[in-house]
Amino acid sequence: MSVTRRGVLYGSLGAAAAGLSARQAAAAGEPIRFGWLTALTGANSAPGLGYDRSIRYTVNKINAAGGINGRKIELITRDSQGDPAKAVNAAMEMASNLKVHAVFGPVNSGEALATTPIFTRFKIPSLGICVVNSLIDPVKFPNAFRLSPDNSQWDDAVRHYLLDILKAKKVAVIGDNTGFGTMATALAVENFKKAGAEVVYDAVIEANAQDVSPNLIRARSAGAEAIACWSDSTGLDARLMNARGQIGWDVVMAGHPALGSGDVAHLLEKPEYWNKVYTVGYRSCSFDAAGKLPPRQAAYIEEVRGKFELQDTLLWWVLAGVDAVTLVAEAVQKTGSSDSDKIIGYWNSQKKWPGLYGDYAFSPQEHNGYPTNDIVMSAANTSRDGALNIAPGYAS
Amino acid sequence: MIESIISYGLAMGAAYALIAVAYNVMFSTSRVFSFTAGALGMLGGVCGALFIDRLGLPGVVGLLATLAFCAVVGVVTEFVAVRPVLRSLDQHLYVLSTLALCLMIQQFTAIEWSTVPQPFPQLIPVDLLGIRERFWMPVVACVLVVGGLELLYRHSMIGRAFLAIAEDNFAARALGLPERGLRVASYALAGAIGGLAGFASGGIMLAFFANVSPFNFYGFIPVALGSIGNNRGAIVAGIALGLFQQAANFLVGGVFSSVAVFSVFIVALLIVPQGLFGAPPARRV
Amino acid sequence: MSQVMLRDSANETPRQAPLRFVRKLAPFVGLFGLACLLPLTDNAYFGLIIGRAAVYWVLVSGLNLVVGFAGQIAIGWGVALLALGAYVTSVLTAGTAFAPVSPYLALAAAGVIGAIASVIIGLPALRLRAFYFAVTTIGFATIVTQIAMAWQSVTGGGIGVVGPTFGGVFSTTWGFYYFCLAAAALCTWLSANIGSSRFGRALLAIRDAEVAAEASGISKPVMLTLIFLFAGAVGGVSGGLFASLQTYITPDAFTIDLSILFFIAILIGGRGSIIGPLFSTVLLTLLPEVAAPLAAWATFLYAALLLAIVLLVPGGFANLFDFKSRKPLETGRIIRPNEEILPGLLSAAKARGPIDIENVVLSFGGVRAIDGLSLAITPGEVHGLIGPNGSGKTTVLNAISGYYRPDSGTVRLHGAALPSGAPQTRAGIGIARTFQNPRIVGEASVLANVMIGGTVLGKSTFIETVLSLGRYRREERELRERAMLALAAVGLERLADVRTDRLQHSELRFLEIARALMLDPAFLLLDEPAAGLAGDEIQLLGALITAISRTGVGVLLIEHHTDLVFDICEQVTVLNLGRTLAKGTPAEIMAHQDVIDAYLGG
Repeated sequence: MSVTRRGVLYGSLGAAAAGLSARQAAAAGEPIRFGWLTALTGANSAPGLGYDRSIRYTVNKINAAGGINGRKIELITRDSQGDPAKAVNAAMEMASNLKVHAVFGPVNSGEALATTPIFTRFKIPSLGICVVNSLIDPVKFPNAFRLSPDNSQWDDAVRHYLLDILKAKKVAVIGDNTGFGTMATALAVENFKKAGAEVVYDAVIEANAQDVSPNLIRARSAGAEAIACWSDSTGLDARLMNARGQIGWDVVMAGHPALGSGDVAHLLEKPEYWNKVYTVGYRSCSFDAAGKLPPRQAAYIEEVRGKFELQDTLLWWVLAGVDAVTLVAEAVQKTGSSDSDKIIGYWNSQKKWPGLYGDYAFSPQEHNGYPTNDIVMSAANTSRDGALNIAPGYAS
Repeated sequence: MIESIISYGLAMGAAYALIAVAYNVMFSTSRVFSFTAGALGMLGGVCGALFIDRLGLPGVVGLLATLAFCAVVGVVTEFVAVRPVLRSLDQHLYVLSTLALCLMIQQFTAIEWSTVPQPFPQLIPVDLLGIRERFWMPVVACVLVVGGLELLYRHSMIGRAFLAIAEDNFAARALGLPERGLRVASYALAGAIGGLAGFASGGIMLAFFANVSPFNFYGFIPVALGSIGNNRGAIVAGIALGLFQQAANFLVGGVFSSVAVFSVFIVALLIVPQGLFGAPPARRV
Repeated sequence: MSQVMLRDSANETPRQAPLRFVRKLAPFVGLFGLACLLPLTDNAYFGLIIGRAAVYWVLVSGLNLVVGFAGQIAIGWGVALLALGAYVTSVLTAGTAFAPVSPYLALAAAGVIGAIASVIIGLPALRLRAFYFAVTTIGFATIVTQIAMAWQSVTGGGIGVVGPTFGGVFSTTWGFYYFCLAAAALCTWLSANIGSSRFGRALLAIRDAEVAAEASGISKPVMLTLIFLFAGAVGGVSGGLFASLQTYITPDAFTIDLSILFFIAILIGGRGSIIGPLFSTVLLTLLPEVAAPLAAWATFLYAALLLAIVLLVPGGFANLFDFKSRKPLETGRIIRPNEEILPGLLSAAKARGPIDIENVVLSFGGVRAIDGLSLAITPGEVHGLIGPNGSGKTTVLNAISGYYRPDSGTVRLHGAALPSGAPQTRAGIGIARTFQNPRIVGEASVLANVMIGGTVLGKSTFIETVLSLGRYRREERELRERAMLALAAVGLERLADVRTDRLQHSELRFLEIARALMLDPAFLLLDEPAAGLAGDEIQLLGALITAISRTGVGVLLIEHHTDLVFDICEQVTVLNLGRTLAKGTPAEIMAHQDVIDAYLGG
């Protein structure tokens, strides 16, 4: 893994350098500067590395085909390492010094919360993938759009699955003590109560906690029929599943996509501990009962097979990266301009933009574009090419 | 629930106690506390996973390779971060030099190994007396190390030389003891002990670069509370810490348990700065 | 007459003094001048980075006094204070706990709360060893972020809270930039005032010569409390500015790496310097931006840098660029004490009575170091204390200066018992001393070392000092003049500006006497002042001690050079194994058979 990560880092530097030389060569006009900012090294870098592969692939593909209206896309990548201070520096560099035309990222909440106001101040069209609700607000941040669902949509999907499909009445909610974990746990508890379910146990656990069996024992003795799990820490997720297996409890766990990550698989003591674990997934990235992906996504996988690795990442990260680059490229192509107003105006006019990851619907009043109905739960232990089987119980 | 407190508490307590012994062994010959003690614990877990899981060595060979590697790290610590600053001990430069080395080891591991926890192999597929390997291994390691050290100190020439140096550095040198050689040897020994702590607790802590800080911090508490250089005190304090931490985990939950441990530690230290099993400091003028 | 001679002796004409001041000020003016011109680039990115350096420096300027001056290894302190200040300012401005307040008021509150928290984090330093203290500060840093994470209703937990926006002209990019710059300039001035004052010198003494600091009447608890208060106040303000700079704060912004960056900035800059850490704070903030390809290895490189600094240049930049201290000193220097100056330095007849030691018994772990000793130190006389090694001479001196508590017996000064176990009280009542091994601040100038001896003479408050008010400046001038006089008296005035660690051993002996004389002492306790001196130097020393006693000072002289003792002492006590072997005039002692047998040798 370490080798590939470093490879990615050097690769992206190479890509940036290539972009620079392309800029000098471009006679047709100024390149379109696409800023890509997130953690690419450090503890929170797994999603960033997934997005990064398809972003570089897509940018190269567009440039190889002659660019957009004769303009090349210049990919400007900055690694924030998960440090909000570094993210703010990089955001300011992109906005003020490099004058990017559009920006994608960051993934982590602490960074996104700090960089969003900066991009707004410089009116940089920005595509977000951080799920924190407050990041999208067309009045406060008219330049900011979200490709991913927000946290409420994730929460809706999990709650819907546990209460409506699995018919659980008593639930436990467990999250980690990171920013995302505490927020998501609080939201889940509130929404379960609103929906009439009984939250018999809820806890926020340190992400590196060694022993989580106390929490599960308590949840079990409180009578929980299902566990909603909101942690993106693969270590904690695996420890929860191991503890669940050791105390011989076959309760359903459902929640954050990290539950289905390959890193979790390595840490499980027995493969069967991964059964009855469901993660937030998407129709675009789920195998149906017949084991097939939707046609467009299946075709894309065939296109990129052998060009970059899919097995150790999640397909929706990869697809969202494609959509981000394409949304910017198309806006410039259709409006003939890389001006901030033009790009934002183009995005605002998309009623149903057909992306690979989802069909986004934006308007001047709504910058959360992801369709709620496309969010479904998937079986955690079924990953192939970064996609998962749809969880049992959904009508196809 | 009590079972979980005791099994995890004893296992983690034994691991902390071993790190504390590593601190003590380094301190005895150099009068220096080294932040690399935590790094050794982390490396014990990572090396175990690397040698056995990744490279496929047999368990025993993997253990020996881990101990050897950590012993080398211990010796490197002595050469790089300790020996050059021994001349000016009163300026406390060792705090910074060993911290620097510790950070370098941690960051190197993060980049070259992984930033997410990696699994640690199970060595013996069956349980011992119904207890799982991850729970008995740290305790057994702790008993073996402390027993071994007592034997070494009491019944061998080299062990007595260690004690002499720990007692009075200058006098020992005046007696013609190879002070430098013994110091290097003690750092190698401490390296192996720290590595063993990480290896034995690998099943619980996993092979994870960020284990440095918990090992450093929770490993130092038994040193401070059990009094410097007192290995038996370290064992008592280490086990007590493990149980207290695990009980606090149950009673008040994760975040508050670390706050609880820290508060108790600070208050205890301010009341008895010399630890619970030690004598007040000697005169200074 | 003495004035003229002093100027001359400092190798400095009146015209050179302002020149030196300008040269000292130039790097600061240059740095801030350049920073003031930055808005001309109209590049908000540069503004952010330099603004960040300014905000960090606000914190480091205070921490520098704790780490660089007082030598306290408060590794986790920096980020704990930054986080606290950031949260206090943001929470008060955002109104998540109380009604929202003005950001300026919130910033002030961050300063106050920072000062209090800083003392809580810092004061374990008084009881704990260095490594212990380092570990506890790291623990505090962790706890602060964990509380921020857990106390969701106020801090927003992991989702954090919006940073404050300063209104009006400071709401723009460059307006806020100048605000941060002004704060940095102010803190530079404040911390430089402290650093060059008696407080700064006292901190250096605590760092490098703690025992001498106590003997000079410096109270470590008081000094550390003051300095932690100041550092905490600016640290809290820095946190508030940081929150505004970040626009939004979450607990993950406050990593221990940041604390280590602050720490390294001070060490690279050089302990005991202000300009060095200022430069390196700017440098370390800029470095990751310039070396972006190495981002992943940044922490590794910082650590490697720290190791290299500690091992190779423990003095940091400040030493590296201290070209003046590389110029070779004049060789074959001769110490020429000038006893004529002494009356101008020492006021006559201030002691109303002797120091009386009666039946003092003092033992260490069962060994009786002093066993029933009585002696008197009379004003205007030199009392010699001789005896073989280990006979308890220095222990007597330490008992008088309050380091040890006698098991029984009394030490009185004109009738009143002297409190034992409180060495820092002796300077105030006119008891000065020197040490067997000179205890000096090697990195400070000779003049500064001597001025440390006059710490208790300073009456201006900490606040007056920080703000460099009139009384403080007057006192500082007087102290400097007095120190030059003391140096002239012992014959070291030509070395006033030299780094003390460049002096020869014999010169350090005289320097310690000059430092002791700063107090205008009633009693002077000398612990083997002639050890390591050449024959002619011993003669000069003897004349100096005699002259000092003539002004009315009572001198206790511990010596192995019995020639000197018999030459200048009015009374001599001979110790053996903690007991008085003999006492009397030199003539009586020289004739005493027991003394000849046990000590003087036959």
